[in-house]
Amino acid sequence: MAASTMCTAWVSCITRKHCHGVFGIIRSPLFRGACYSTALSVPTNKDVMTRGNRSTMVRRPKREPAAPRTDKMTVDQDWSSVYPTAASFKPSTVPLPIRMGYPVKRGVPPEKKGNLELIKIPNFLHLTPAAIKRQCAALSVFCTKWPETLDSEAKCEQHFPIQVKMTDFVFAGPSVRNPKARVSTLTVKVSSLNLDDHGRKKLIKLAGERHNKETDTLTFTADRCPLRRQNYDYAMYLLTVLYHESSKHEPWEKEKTEADMEEYLWESSTSERNALETLLRMKGSEEGFAPTREELLSSRPMQEYRNSVTNLKNVGENESTLLQYKESVKNLLNL
Amino acid sequence: MHQLQSHLQLRLTRKTEHKEGCERRALSWCETGYRGFQTSAACLKNRAARVRVGKGDRPVMYEEAHPPHFIAHRKGWLSQHTSNLDGEGGAAERTVEDVFVRKFIFGTFHGCLANEVVIKRRGNVLVVCAVFLQRLPPQKFYFLLGYSETLLSHFYKCPVKLEVQTLEGRVPYKYL
Repeated sequence: MAASTMCTAWVSCITRKHCHGVFGIIRSPLFRGACYSTALSVPTNKDVMTRGNRSTMVRRPKREPAAPRTDKMTVDQDWSSVYPTAASFKPSTVPLPIRMGYPVKRGVPPEKKGNLELIKIPNFLHLTPAAIKRQCAALSVFCTKWPETLDSEAKCEQHFPIQVKMTDFVFAGPSVRNPKARVSTLTVKVSSLNLDDHGRKKLIKLAGERHNKETDTLTFTADRCPLRRQNYDYAMYLLTVLYHESSKHEPWEKEKTEADMEEYLWESSTSERNALETLLRMKGSEEGFAPTREELLSSRPMQEYRNSVTNLKNVGENESTLLQYKESVKNLLNL
Repeated sequence: MHQLQSHLQLRLTRKTEHKEGCERRALSWCETGYRGFQTSAACLKNRAARVRVGKGDRPVMYEEAHPPHFIAHRKGWLSQHTSNLDGEGGAAERTVEDVFVRKFIFGTFHGCLANEVVIKRRGNVLVVCAVFLQRLPPQKFYFLLGYSETLLSHFYKCPVKLEVQTLEGRVPYKYL
């Protein structure tokens, strides 16, 4: 019917106009296939290839792929500009005739073009010695010289007794933050702290496990705070508090008993008492003068005996200490 | 329309016939009591990631020509990250990310992938290395590259870089 044919004509008009990219106005729809447009564009090569026009298949001239960059490279070029940062292997950029892979029977390893094995491995093409030298030169502007007076380990220890250890973690993942990086460790030698004998003993008692007897170092590991700075501050605070507390003298410290003593003191022990009593009885039974306690204590055999007993208790039982004890007893009792 | 309906009806009738036939035959089937057991020797072949030898007309890449026992001997690893080291975590998450990225690239550049995708992680940067065939015009390629990079970066909340090479055609390692 007329209406339907006109419909189809109108539809085809519209589509053709869309092809040309121009919208026209239909002046008289009553006429079959009549469509007027205000402006008509000449169909270009590009338009011919767009949809709706399959009768004339004109191929766009295919662009030839350009020659690889390796052809234009000079021998004395700046390699850092070719590989400035870490990048995967690009065969058209690396002018080396590299082959990689297991060869087929009676063949050679596959060439570098399209070689996945060369892409898989990490390369250090961005870290040539010249590139490293250049980077170091750029970084050295921000460095300061090491002070000449700090030339030995002992001097470093003397001027900087507190050592702080902090760890940074490098790993692969979407986030750069690692919760293990917040740990902060503080080490200090007890001998470098300004403490008297009582303070030192009290500090060691308070520190407990954090004190290492062999090396005489205090170690504070702080990881209870979420940030590294906070953990460092907390460790410094712990050290300060410990130092001040061990310098104080509490009234209840006077009640220190022999069981609380860290090391053996011969001065008021049962060993001293027994030795004195034995000697007094021995000397008293003989004729002549009865020596006083002070004389006995200050006599050489007594001092030797004192040393040997202190050694035995503090150092432990080994051949030399037992021998020393034997000699001192023999001298004391005149055997 | 009518043809379609009639076709469907025919299919239905055929199905019912088959069912009836089955039922009719089912009784005899149960009666005979069919049971089977393995009479030949079991052949437990490894079939993982292996291309079986054929007529010699099938071109095969280096990656698929070598079965998995050649990894670390003749093949490298397609994905590199630190999660499998001692004391490091997140291995499962990295693996899932890898699988997703491979499927994404395969689908976005459909028909253009010459070989497997290599995924490297440098710090928090995800580097996807791919070798494509020159099947698409360069403008489309560039658009798809930018699209993939942006989408993956937003998805994984880390910088994603695509390092791409193009080839004229696949380079076969051998013919199986």
